[in-house]
Amino acid sequence: MSGASKTSMERLEEKLCTRFEQAVPKRVNSDSHFVWRGRNLTADCLLQIGSVQYLIRFEQGAIKECRRGLPLMCSWDFAVRGSARAWEELWQDPPKAGWHDIGALIKRGEMTMEGKLHPLIANLQYFKDMMELPRKGGSK
Amino acid sequence: MKKTAVEPIVGRYTTVSIMGEDCRIYFEEAGQGIPFLCVPTAGSDTRQFRHMMCDEDITKKFRVITFDMPWHGKSYPPVGWEKREYKLSGELFMQTIRSVSAALGLDRPVFMGCSIGGRITLQLANFYGKEFRALIGLEAADYQTTWYDRKWLHRSDVHGGEVSAAIVSGLLSPTSPEVHRQETLWQYMQSGPGVFGGDLYYYHVDSDLRGKLGGINTKTCPLYLLTGEYDYSCRPEDTLRTAKSIPGAKAKVMKGIGHFPMSENPAQFKKYIMPVLNDIVKREKKS
Repeated sequence: MSGASKTSMERLEEKLCTRFEQAVPKRVNSDSHFVWRGRNLTADCLLQIGSVQYLIRFEQGAIKECRRGLPLMCSWDFAVRGSARAWEELWQDPPKAGWHDIGALIKRGEMTMEGKLHPLIANLQYFKDMMELPRKGGSK
Repeated sequence: MKKTAVEPIVGRYTTVSIMGEDCRIYFEEAGQGIPFLCVPTAGSDTRQFRHMMCDEDITKKFRVITFDMPWHGKSYPPVGWEKREYKLSGELFMQTIRSVSAALGLDRPVFMGCSIGGRITLQLANFYGKEFRALIGLEAADYQTTWYDRKWLHRSDVHGGEVSAAIVSGLLSPTSPEVHRQETLWQYMQSGPGVFGGDLYYYHVDSDLRGKLGGINTKTCPLYLLTGEYDYSCRPEDTLRTAKSIPGAKAKVMKGIGHFPMSENPAQFKKYIMPVLNDIVKREKKS
């Protein structure tokens, strides 16, 4: 596909990925308290924004790697996948009611959690806060 | 040394027989006038009502009373708790409220409950409406779907307090004041093991009330339903659908509020609860 023929969905995904990459991992790793909160977390996460996949490797609360696209035959512990609209709405400031939290997005079928969920659930607020970092300002 | 202001809330204990079991109950009260009994959300405690109990606009006309359910806050579980799993049923919930009300000698109180307390408001209206002057259900509906497996709330390898707070954190409005948001979550981090999940047994398993509320008579006992727009557990549409099925029920959606109105945004909640309380006072004067 040529660059000139990008669809509106592809443009939206690109915009969302740029926002995500500007916030993560920098704003996690530069915040010592944020890292401390995740000190018991060492796991590999697949995070999906629309059709774009990221591999995020957590090590004791720090993000050791955050790469767009998965390497061949890559393993991961758990996945969080959301539609482009889900992330776009989640990152509004303030977000609209019913689109403002990953639980709300799961309930409306716009997001899923898959795989070995223990590390995710045991560190759920850490993850929620990380996933909301691209929301400018916000309530945090 | 400068003296600091002391809040008017007074807390005491009493032992109440609930369905044949003695339970030491902690309760708080403030104000005088119409008895006004309040029950918090699942897994939480009396602290959710602290703002209302310090608001003279409310306490000059109402004696506001709230209590920790058995297993919660400063109330103990019944003797032998260590040999059973806590599961709240609708029947136990109703009888707990009625027993505490009777033990405190309350004469047809106004009752207000939030979340599971909102759901039980509908059952109280259905079975025991004559025992109350008015019923107020916050975040109340006859049924709603969930988005998580409550088994995660009580495991030896997951911190129960932290996961409970993390699960409910999204039910708070992102526009509520941060200090009150965090206070509400702190309450969730402090319940006993399995207590939040045990309350949710009632919510998720033992309380599908669809088509079962035909006994409600809002002429005998008015029913008010208030739900926050950011509540995706009990969504505004769940409450409005429920209200539509109950002749005479009054429902309103609260802007900028989530699942914990009195706790997460007391100033915004006051805009919605005061008209209800004024309505109740007006009705009292007529009768």
